[in-house]
Amino acid sequence: MSALKTDFGGDRGDLFTLMLRTSFLTVVTFGIYRFWRTTRLRRWYWSSIRPGGVPLEYTGTPQEKLAGFFVAVIVLALYIALFNLAGLFVAFSLSENDLSYLTFAIGSAPLALVPVILAARYRARRYILSRSTWLGIRFGMDGGAWGYAWRACMYWVLTLATLGLLWPLKTFQLEKYLTDRTWYGTARFHQHGSPFMLYLLALPFYVLGAVIVGVIVLIGLETDTVTQGWYALSLPVFAILLLVSGVYFRVASVRAMAGLKELGDGMEFGLEPRTGKLLRIHVFGNLISLILVSFVSPVILGLVVGFLYLIGQVDADAITNTPPNLAGFMAVLTWITVFILYGVFRQVFVTYPTVAHVAETLEVEEPAVLHGIRQRARDNNREAGGFAEALDVGAAF
Amino acid sequence: MMAQTPSRDAQFAAKLALAYGEILDGVRPALQRVSLRLSGKGRGGTLELRNTQTNTTEVWQLDSLRLVPDQARADALVLAHLGSGDARLILRDHDAIRALLEACPGLPNLNGSTGFLPKLIALGAAALAALGAILFVLIPFMADRGTDLIPPSAEVNLGRASFERLATALDLRECKSLAGDAALLQMQTRLTEGLTLPFPLQVRVVDDPAVNAFALPGGQIAINSGLIDAAQTPEEVAAVLAHEIGHVVNRDGTRGMLRSIGSFGIVGLLFGDAVGTSAAAGVAQQMISSSYSREAEIAADAFAHRQMTRAGLPPSALGDMFVRMQAQGLGQDMGVFRSIATHPEFQDRIGAAMAADTGAATGAPVVDAAGWQALQGICG
Repeated sequence: MSALKTDFGGDRGDLFTLMLRTSFLTVVTFGIYRFWRTTRLRRWYWSSIRPGGVPLEYTGTPQEKLAGFFVAVIVLALYIALFNLAGLFVAFSLSENDLSYLTFAIGSAPLALVPVILAARYRARRYILSRSTWLGIRFGMDGGAWGYAWRACMYWVLTLATLGLLWPLKTFQLEKYLTDRTWYGTARFHQHGSPFMLYLLALPFYVLGAVIVGVIVLIGLETDTVTQGWYALSLPVFAILLLVSGVYFRVASVRAMAGLKELGDGMEFGLEPRTGKLLRIHVFGNLISLILVSFVSPVILGLVVGFLYLIGQVDADAITNTPPNLAGFMAVLTWITVFILYGVFRQVFVTYPTVAHVAETLEVEEPAVLHGIRQRARDNNREAGGFAEALDVGAAF
Repeated sequence: MMAQTPSRDAQFAAKLALAYGEILDGVRPALQRVSLRLSGKGRGGTLELRNTQTNTTEVWQLDSLRLVPDQARADALVLAHLGSGDARLILRDHDAIRALLEACPGLPNLNGSTGFLPKLIALGAAALAALGAILFVLIPFMADRGTDLIPPSAEVNLGRASFERLATALDLRECKSLAGDAALLQMQTRLTEGLTLPFPLQVRVVDDPAVNAFALPGGQIAINSGLIDAAQTPEEVAAVLAHEIGHVVNRDGTRGMLRSIGSFGIVGLLFGDAVGTSAAAGVAQQMISSSYSREAEIAADAFAHRQMTRAGLPPSALGDMFVRMQAQGLGQDMGVFRSIATHPEFQDRIGAAMAADTGAATGAPVVDAAGWQALQGICG
């Protein structure tokens, strides 16, 4: 059998309608509907991704998400309350003469959530995989959220402490941790390769970092202020290049590691997202979203005011001398329209093309391996991503 | 799975469509071709699926069919069957799709049932109740215990540092004069007679036109010059001072800080980014903080009524002062620091002060006329 290509079959207009409707419902239900929105968006995106012509299916339900969320809120509220108070109490007792301890303790309290956030992300991924099928067969993931959380914390600390020198190591090890615990039916994924292959991809990033340090040193050594100015002018350029090379590393490492994943006994993959294309999508997509919001939102407000004028609720005098309840109403309406529309436009002009581009580059090699794969047991997963939802660290949908 | 050999009977005369579809059996990752026979309509109708490779046949009840919703492309209909597990039928043929939809009017969505709803509502109510218990019982309780455990010396140092920081930030000038300070001390002594304070008081007047006063942790009390200007009698200033001493005795500065910070970040859990996290969560956080401080204000008022009566001074002076504050419409919230004019229940608090006054105030004025004059002129 030859490699299976993937096509992406969603229509941007349909997504716009779905996203607009579900976002509106989310706002008017004070956020409760967001579990339905997430579910419906996932169903939509999954069904638009078709490896070998067969769409993925998302089988999660909003009800299980809401239930998992309720439980997560309670557990997290307890954790946060105890941690906040215990931390504050210790800091209070320590800060004999000076407020800075206390300020520091209050400022660093959110750090206590970092391991919880990492574990929540692992579990959210596990939930999503357990609710994803292709060819009628479920994906799945083994437990290991806390193992992931402490490894991720450790690699983050190491990466920061070495000024990014261990970034490729962190990227590879964490991806391997996730991949090696992922299943499709009865077949397990394996991440091959080594962290060293990623260092080559990070080379531009390191070179630019070194150049920036070099320029800063040169500025320090230079005595002539005009030359100093010229050096300083080059810094923003290098900073942007550094950012681009960082994005390049992330995209290229996804590419490299996807090529070295194996499912079961011999099924392989290709995933070839392009850095330039993704950068263009993000820059222009966000720009378009901002521009559209700034045009559409005033039009909607104008229409509402016009309607109120026509039915006699507002007179011309209100424009120069706005009564406070009208002003309050307009402020809320502005907030909501801007909030909804910006989310909708970003979904349509950033998330959609990103997913489409990445999906279309997916290839499945040696699909004959599928013959040996069977369905896996259902993963009840009552938590249903609730922790990630409460901590607001979910993905774009 | 309901496998059966095709039985030819009269029903098949009523077959509406003969078409092909693809099935995913939910066991093996493979599309299998099936031929379809539709018979009957709605409840009682059936869809017969015959696998063209294995020659086995399955019968799906039409009223157990479910539509897999939110499909991105309209070129195919994906169906599930209750009782057939993970199996999916994919129809691409337009005539077959039309015939099937006609035979199943009001085809429900998969997982669209609302049977879960009562359970969800119960779970949601339980979650809210638990959250309320955490915010309004557990955190206040732990903050109170924590306050008792913090050594007063730590609080004194902290209070001093907080005052310095606040004075710098707000550009507050401390007012001093020999006679003014003496009058202030006289008031303080009269109001604290027989009290055991957790730490020595540090009372001062600051040059600020707002009609306000505040207590910081560690016995730091500041009275604005604006409050002294607005007061008609020295007893009114004394009543406010008694209120602030109440905060000191109750260690409200520290308690409030522990409570507010203990609850920080909990409300945000509820909102996600759905309605603009920061705004909604910020408002809710503010409401919780002010509910904490409302409690503290009322306790400090009661303390002031008691101390004023004990010192032979009229508690109604506190009510008079509140009326003046209300008239000025002043009072700004200073976060965790108590500011007495922050809260809307003024009317109740004025009433409480008036009610506490038994008219038995027989003591001498809190300071004499010269002392009052000195206090009024303390900021020059």
